[in-house]
Amino acid sequence: MTDLLRGIVGMADWRVWAMFGVGLALIWLAVKKEYEPNLLLPMGFGCLLANIPFSSAVGGGFLDVLFKGGITNELFPILIFIGVGAMIDFGPLLQDPEMLFFGAAAQFGIFFTMMLALLVGRIPGVTGIPGLREAAAIGIIGAADGPTAIYVATRFAPGLLAPITVAAYSYMSLVPIIQPPIIRALTTREERMIHMENPEHEVSRTVKVIFPIAVTLIAGIIAPMSVALIGSLMFGNLLRESGVTERLSKTAQNELTSLVTILLGITIGSSMGGKQFLNPTTLLIIAMGLIAFVFDTAGGVLFAKLINLFRKRKINPMIGACGISAFPMSARVIQKMAQQEDGNNFIIMHAVGANVAGQIASIIAGGLILALVR
Amino acid sequence: MDTVVVEGLRVSGLSYVLIFAVLGIFYGLIKLLLRILPPRDDSA
Repeated sequence: MTDLLRGIVGMADWRVWAMFGVGLALIWLAVKKEYEPNLLLPMGFGCLLANIPFSSAVGGGFLDVLFKGGITNELFPILIFIGVGAMIDFGPLLQDPEMLFFGAAAQFGIFFTMMLALLVGRIPGVTGIPGLREAAAIGIIGAADGPTAIYVATRFAPGLLAPITVAAYSYMSLVPIIQPPIIRALTTREERMIHMENPEHEVSRTVKVIFPIAVTLIAGIIAPMSVALIGSLMFGNLLRESGVTERLSKTAQNELTSLVTILLGITIGSSMGGKQFLNPTTLLIIAMGLIAFVFDTAGGVLFAKLINLFRKRKINPMIGACGISAFPMSARVIQKMAQQEDGNNFIIMHAVGANVAGQIASIIAGGLILALVR
Repeated sequence: MDTVVVEGLRVSGLSYVLIFAVLGIFYGLIKLLLRILPPRDDSA
């Protein structure tokens, strides 16, 4: 009888109600708004499971087993990357390799936010961001890339993993709302109407096969800490581009990704216990995550404007914003904005090129931070 | 200035520069691959 009543008694804790609210809000965002539903829905339900008083799902239950077996050892984000790699077509980037630099420029938000978090953490009374490792884990939200954020946060700030993951995926889903006003503020209408010629040359299959292998070797030798991330992404891409492992490629794109996303989502949700999640640090992380996305976008756009000062053939500076990663949402947003200004402006190929460059750059950023932050 | 903040500035600046450097290497790699393996090559 006591066992039956303790659940009801546990409901007296306000944090249980608050976390039920958070879990239900995530489910609502997934179901009604369709914001990253594949991840936010399992996360929301995982949050509910973890916060039911005396829940058997946590405290040694199956969600704890999944956490130890998939998050603590970084297995789930790595497996997700194999699927992401199998989904990505690097063709537009290979046709127009200049787009790589927009991927680099749009990582600015990571480092701006990292410094901001570090400074905020020095303010007397602010707890939860005691040093550079925690600040770096918060900054990596700006990678606009869930698996990289999870990977770095697990290493540097496991206690902040839940809010960092929620912020990363929430803002990725909000890219269509976050990016347009920043781009409009930083560009003129004339700039947004700039047309860009699509590259006419094709890329041979040989190049598409060599590219993932070469990138893995080069990135791995320069930053060995990035091998797990870049290697899994490029392995997935090699499955796709080799042309001889179609079954494996499709499995990675569909079954593997779906299965791991379910487990990843519900497990991250289960880490949102009220005691750990409901504190001022969570609010700070949510706020700084938004700042990271804003400065990523600004970094990419301003870099494009800077380059335009030296170019005869101007680049549409909106392309710079696609370097944020958040693949493929950001490229779609930019194409839509270009067509709003001029119905005949098709910059989608360049946008996708910058977008996949952002995917590579965000992983390199994660690897470098892991290597450089002590 | 706080040594942790100085270290943060060093790591941030160095990482940002290194991202450009690494992607610059990839840029050179792609240019090289496109030059030595033009589109007509589909023998892989």
